[in-house]
Amino acid sequence: MTAVTAAETAIAEPDAGVRARGVSLGRLRISRSRAIAGAVLLGLGFIPVVVPHHDFWMYIGAYIAVWAMLELSIVVVTGFAGMISLMPFTFVGIGCFASGVAVSVWGWPFWLAVPFAAAATVPVSIAVGAASVRLKGLYLAIATLTFGNALGETLFKWNAFTGGQQGHTIVRPKLGVLSFRGDFSFYVLAMLVALLLVWMVHGLKASRVGRAMLSVRDNEREAQALGINAIKTKLTALVIGGAIAGVGGAFYLALLRTAAPAGFQSPYVEISSVLLVVWAVIGGIDSAFGAFLGATALIVQQQVYQGVGERLGAWLGLYAAAILVVFLITRPGGLVQVVKIQRERIHSDRIRGGIETFVILAINVVIVYLILHFGK
Amino acid sequence: MAITESDLKPEPSAVDEPALRTAGLSVRFGGITALDEVAVEIRPGEIVGLLGPNGAGKTTLFNAISGFIKPDAGRVLLDGNEIQDLFPYERVAAGLGRTFQHVKLFRGLTVEENLLAAQHRHLRSGAVAAMLRLPSWRRDEDEARERVEQMLQMVDLRPWRNRYPWELSYGTVRFLELAAVLSLRPKVLLLDEPATGIQQKEVEALGPLLKRVRDEVGCAIFLIEHDMGLLMGVSERVYALDFGKLIAEGTPQEVTADPRVLESYLGRTRRVLHSEEADGA
Repeated sequence: MTAVTAAETAIAEPDAGVRARGVSLGRLRISRSRAIAGAVLLGLGFIPVVVPHHDFWMYIGAYIAVWAMLELSIVVVTGFAGMISLMPFTFVGIGCFASGVAVSVWGWPFWLAVPFAAAATVPVSIAVGAASVRLKGLYLAIATLTFGNALGETLFKWNAFTGGQQGHTIVRPKLGVLSFRGDFSFYVLAMLVALLLVWMVHGLKASRVGRAMLSVRDNEREAQALGINAIKTKLTALVIGGAIAGVGGAFYLALLRTAAPAGFQSPYVEISSVLLVVWAVIGGIDSAFGAFLGATALIVQQQVYQGVGERLGAWLGLYAAAILVVFLITRPGGLVQVVKIQRERIHSDRIRGGIETFVILAINVVIVYLILHFGK
Repeated sequence: MAITESDLKPEPSAVDEPALRTAGLSVRFGGITALDEVAVEIRPGEIVGLLGPNGAGKTTLFNAISGFIKPDAGRVLLDGNEIQDLFPYERVAAGLGRTFQHVKLFRGLTVEENLLAAQHRHLRSGAVAAMLRLPSWRRDEDEARERVEQMLQMVDLRPWRNRYPWELSYGTVRFLELAAVLSLRPKVLLLDEPATGIQQKEVEALGPLLKRVRDEVGCAIFLIEHDMGLLMGVSERVYALDFGKLIAEGTPQEVTADPRVLESYLGRTRRVLHSEEADGA
């Protein structure tokens, strides 16, 4: 009896030893060094709040917010429900041009165009859902890649929808006396919407529908044996994921102010879709918080490559690719795993894990410095 | 905390109606007849065993009853209602629960989350309620966690609540799967070789547990089992299946003494031995 009680206590209070030196975020407890590592990465998107009207950071912050919305759609479809869809950027395009038509042709206010953009993705989600009844894994991936390509040649060549080669140009929204036309105010709006969506997707995971998605992902046969309608569950995930991508598409258009259909045709649509999936995995594919981290890392590294010039960018890119391989082997859960304590890890491992993160960060900073210094 | 009967017992069945009945159930795979007009009857609260050599069609029968295989002919009745045209998840709603020969459950979910997932059919709240944290979501979560607490208690899995299935012994995962399927509050429970791959000590605990489940949950149990000690110990009646046909039915003693049953197990061995002798000569 005492053995069981002791085991129970140990499991119920796994962090009793480190809590004094850690940070508590609700049920999630984080060691101090990991909290700092996480805060540094997460904080990049929020620099404009501290340093407003700095063009470079405002641009980065707004991009992070919009890409976080796009990544969240992959968290629901692939991370939760386990369907590898390689056409997420097509959904972004549908949201983008649906809101574009609504605002620039029909003269709707942006606030109505956003839900319209979300709704416009539903027919395509249902089509993918019909395919997912029969196709799984790699086959669904190929089917969706092809479907995205086909829509690029049809839907995104329909001038009434896309507004022709030039696409749509919209004016950023206003809400009564509040204007989001400036870069800073639009950044604040996009970031608030992104965080709202993170909160919503996070809530979905710990719910009846979210757990149904996770169980269909892990074992479809067992899920059905436990009374879960696998087809309906997958369809729900696709519709929610598509709607989030649609909302993201509307904000993508508002961010850029203008969008042309070429970006949603082959080969750009495939490249962007795969890029989205890749960075969702790096962030942590089944975590809403991870989607945000993934988007931050993606945007920041793109800026670094552009900032250092072509030659150095190539060397840094090669180095980053090598790091990524090591990272995905050691942290299959993604960036969010760097921050989050793994329940199965024992106490001493956890502290070492925190120090490890810092040592790795420090080594990387030194290598990047060396590349920048001698790479010229 | 004791499990109250009202919490777990399914709706009372109609009088004299078998809990589960199959009639003329046939399944063919290409030219092979895997099930040939199988008719079984399980009465409410009864524990019935299913015997047969490998390849006799036992798991196929379970798959046809639970909807994972579409039968070519025949009917499946649960409480007198035809269910042979329903999807597997709809049969769960009708009161059927089953386990699998090779248990995996959901490897990305903890023990507690696995059991929460099994509460699906008792909950109602939708995706929007969860995303906006509406009161209906909160009520569902509270209710689900309370039920999971009861199930963890029932199968003694509380110390493992935050562990993943792949961290546990195979036997523990079997008990977890049993807890998950009992969460459905089934009227009829199909168990496919529950003792396979688990330690002898756990096999011995399984017999009394199944009887307790039957008494507390009030469900009928139909089980495939190769462990004769367990099967003889818990079953009130036994069916024997060979080449997709029912060849015997009766008390465990009657069936295991039936010459056709012995032939189905031993005859084949004898034929194999003979053919080996012939090869050697």
